[in-house]
Amino acid sequence: MGNASHFALFDLEPDFRLDQDRLAVRYRELVRRVHPDRFAGAPEREQRLALEEAARLNEAYQTLKSPSQRARYLLSLQGEELSQETTVQDPAFLMQQMELREELQELQDSADLAGVARFKRRLVQDQEQLNEGFAACWADPRRRDEAERLARRMQFLDKLFAEVRQLEERLDD
Amino acid sequence: MAYSDKVIDHYENPRNVGKLDAQDPDVGTGMVGAPACGDVMRLQIKVNEQGIIEDAKFKTYGCGSAIASSSLATEWMKGRTLEEAETIKNTQIAEELALPPVKIHCSVLAEDAIKAAVRDYKHKKGLV
Repeated sequence: MGNASHFALFDLEPDFRLDQDRLAVRYRELVRRVHPDRFAGAPEREQRLALEEAARLNEAYQTLKSPSQRARYLLSLQGEELSQETTVQDPAFLMQQMELREELQELQDSADLAGVARFKRRLVQDQEQLNEGFAACWADPRRRDEAERLARRMQFLDKLFAEVRQLEERLDD
Repeated sequence: MAYSDKVIDHYENPRNVGKLDAQDPDVGTGMVGAPACGDVMRLQIKVNEQGIIEDAKFKTYGCGSAIASSSLATEWMKGRTLEEAETIKNTQIAEELALPPVKIHCSVLAEDAIKAAVRDYKHKKGLV
């Protein structure tokens, strides 16, 4: 079991399209089995194994839950790990990212909470588009470049979402 | 993490922040990004008839080290020829700013932005 994929751990087929509810249910079932309370009286070795298993389940769950991490994980299963050190040269997309960040900056300056909500809805649409695109090409080795480009774009969008969340928290205070 | 004084200086007083007209035939634009941290960097140069970079501007969304690296890059590029600008290495930027190992990639991003801007300019002029 040590080398089983994150998908196999939850009895799921390796695919980008994923039943999120089923994943969450399976995760909760499995993690309950290795809960420390169950091993309170067990030998130390068993306690440690349960802890390791819980950590492994948690890592697998977090990876599969996030579309961008799931995308990268699928690509790594196919062979090569997507390098994180590479500089991305995707001018049109990066230009758009820069404009979105400028827009977010303006929303922050004007403390426009309704504007932030509209902004976020647009991001969600962009994200869904990326997800659709990735789902359509990741399994085809001939379209690896395209899949990598989309997986990278997801990472930039993740960052933007994180910034939107931070801004929402600040404006909420 | 503690930033060096030079990083803080560039972060608080960034040089050459702004935008040049990307449609101008004398302007080269480099757009690069770092996937791991989601940083986005735009570096632009305006080149005169003698092939000298007479102006350079940048805009970076990222951490202090990424901002400082691009700010320093624009400072170093101004007044240089394209060929000289292309020789700027990330190691020089990292050394000047005393970047810690985990932030070296910010200087790599700046070097790649310089190269992308020069390449864009040469492409516009039919030089490549």
